[in-house]
Amino acid sequence: MYHPWTVKYKPKTLKEVVGNREAIQKFVEWVKSWNKGIPKKRAAFLYGPPGIGKTVTVEALANDLKMELVEKNASDYRTEEAVKRFAGLASQYSSLFGTKRIILFDELDGLTGTADKGGVKAITDIIKTAQCPIVLVANSAYDPRFINLRNYCLLIEFKKPSSTDVLKHLKAICLKEGIKAEENALKFIAQRSEGDIRSAVNDLQALAQGKKHLTYDDVSWLGYRDRQETIFTVLRMILYGRTCEGAKRAVNMADVDIDMLFEWIYENVPAHLTDPHDLARAMDALSMADVYRGRIRSTQDWSFVRYVIDFMTAGVAMARVNTKPSGWTPFHFPGRVQMLSRSKGERAMQLEIGRKVKRRCHISATRASKEVLPYLRIIFKNNVEMAAGLAKWLDLSPEMIEYLAENKEKAEAINKLLS
Amino acid sequence: MSFEMWAEKYRPKTLDDMVNQKEIVERLKSFVKSRNVPHCIFAGPPGTGKTTAALCLARDLYGEAYREHIMELNASDERGIDVVRETVKTFARIRSIGEVPFKIMILDEADNMTADAQQALRRTMERYTETCRFILCANYSGKIIEPIQSRCAPFRFTYLPREEHDKYLRYIAANEDINLSEEGLDAIFEVCGGDLRRAINTLQAAASLGKLIDAKIVYSIAGRANPADVQKMIETAMKGNFLEARKQLRDMIQKYGVAGSDIIRQIHTEIFRTTIPEPWKIKLADIVGEIDYRLVEGADEEVQLSALLARLVEAAHEMKGAEKV
Repeated sequence: MYHPWTVKYKPKTLKEVVGNREAIQKFVEWVKSWNKGIPKKRAAFLYGPPGIGKTVTVEALANDLKMELVEKNASDYRTEEAVKRFAGLASQYSSLFGTKRIILFDELDGLTGTADKGGVKAITDIIKTAQCPIVLVANSAYDPRFINLRNYCLLIEFKKPSSTDVLKHLKAICLKEGIKAEENALKFIAQRSEGDIRSAVNDLQALAQGKKHLTYDDVSWLGYRDRQETIFTVLRMILYGRTCEGAKRAVNMADVDIDMLFEWIYENVPAHLTDPHDLARAMDALSMADVYRGRIRSTQDWSFVRYVIDFMTAGVAMARVNTKPSGWTPFHFPGRVQMLSRSKGERAMQLEIGRKVKRRCHISATRASKEVLPYLRIIFKNNVEMAAGLAKWLDLSPEMIEYLAENKEKAEAINKLLS
Repeated sequence: MSFEMWAEKYRPKTLDDMVNQKEIVERLKSFVKSRNVPHCIFAGPPGTGKTTAALCLARDLYGEAYREHIMELNASDERGIDVVRETVKTFARIRSIGEVPFKIMILDEADNMTADAQQALRRTMERYTETCRFILCANYSGKIIEPIQSRCAPFRFTYLPREEHDKYLRYIAANEDINLSEEGLDAIFEVCGGDLRRAINTLQAAASLGKLIDAKIVYSIAGRANPADVQKMIETAMKGNFLEARKQLRDMIQKYGVAGSDIIRQIHTEIFRTTIPEPWKIKLADIVGEIDYRLVEGADEEVQLSALLARLVEAAHEMKGAEKV
């Protein structure tokens, strides 16, 4: 099971909320003032950019003050009718059992024009007569739709926490997860997030979960954050697409080339299509896409690329039959690409040795590096004399000898016999 | 003990030395006798003597100085159209001096040439037939374009029969003064499946460990030369852990450079050894065969093989479902 760290490490009390001390203080004072009687403003309007802890603050406060939190988000109150249905809740401060109540309207920006017609007005009406604290949360309080509503609210601005604050939070998570992270790796994530703690934590989880160590190398590709945003959207369109057309359209949005997009899809299919039948279908589609890549290569006819696209997008999208979308699953950077760049030097060395073998053995360097090299390794590790003979016969350099022997002393012994 | 690659040291020098592929060798000898060689395609699995046959033919035809009359080009390393345009053309058009009026161009691993390069080659072959004959060596003749195939005499090489394989290895063992046991010989054949180059490489690597070569040593060599723990990978997939199985596959290919064709061959062998219900084995063989075919056509070995792993995960899942019913 996948547990988002944003949920696992959500602050439980106000003390744990990152940053925004002033705003939180103002908010707490306002809520506490209800104990002395109904204040002038019966609603608080918390606003600020996404992912910085507005909703979390309300939840933590309810927890600290042992209040009953009635939470409504955009999907619950589309229309005037829907809002009015729980207006009754707002008419009493204490519930039946004596706990005090606080009502939260979250994601207020989610109310859209016509569909939510009357929604804002209904909320305003509730506030006017509210007998308990009402909290509104939105990214912006200055949306024209909120002009009238604003008059009845205490406006509290939430600001982006500093990257030092975000860093502290990330460190705490790593500590609890038992991950040893390089300082500059976490710093990098924190800075990239620009104060959006939620995205920073999501990034951290995507990069570090299951690892014991997190290095700067592991995270540096995040430098393409903006591109990532696009690629994530593109992947979502493909892995969760319902129509062939929609999935295919994703390709036009991607600002990576087809091969790189293929890698992204290939990397992320297994985590997002977990049902064995769906997975097999999706992988089969990728296999067919790859067959068409092979056909492009052997015919040099690029028009086949349209079939590559069909299979890697629509083919993958149509593979989803049984797997239900289950909450939030992160996207991962193609592991193969990372690994490839790491083992580049090694493969160059293997090919160099392959070339030496080729000169003697009527076999291509490519094949020699795969088929002969493993045997040379065994010989060089075990038999100094035979190794020296072969090194001479193949004209291997000292570096090659050391690479094959995988051991400095062995390599020296071989070189000694050679001189 | 000598210190060359034995596969090279014991490569037959003349057609008379060649112990295997009898019918092919007879026909090649007749070419030498008539001092005329057509364009040829030598097709067959690795380690069955294609390149050797081409080199022997050349030596028998031109004598010890045969290297002056031939050119060996390896399509895996130089597969583009430019190579055909430049290198091949330059070599092909210049007339040979000597009693044989043509030169021989050996194009190894020709199935790795791009279609473009093959088209260019086709014209070169036509134009310079007088001065140059081509021998194309390939694992799959199907990857050679039709017009070239129709211009060439086809020769189909097959794996060495067991007794010839044994005879050859025993001869090498005797010459190198090593003690190759019967079980060791069995093991080499099982591990290398008649691929003589691989068999000889295995023998030499085993000899680097000591003079006595038994089955245990052979298997350990094969295991180390082939870090492909295919059995474990299949088990991982059958347990339903696709991601881990794919990681194991990735390591084999990227870290150890194991060829995809080897991995799939081992998967095929392994499937009949597992303890799954009998009817499933043939179902899986069909899947393996399909992916094997795509491997030839496709561009990326890991993608193809991981599609196969996904099918194994699916099959294991279905088997479990059937058990419950």
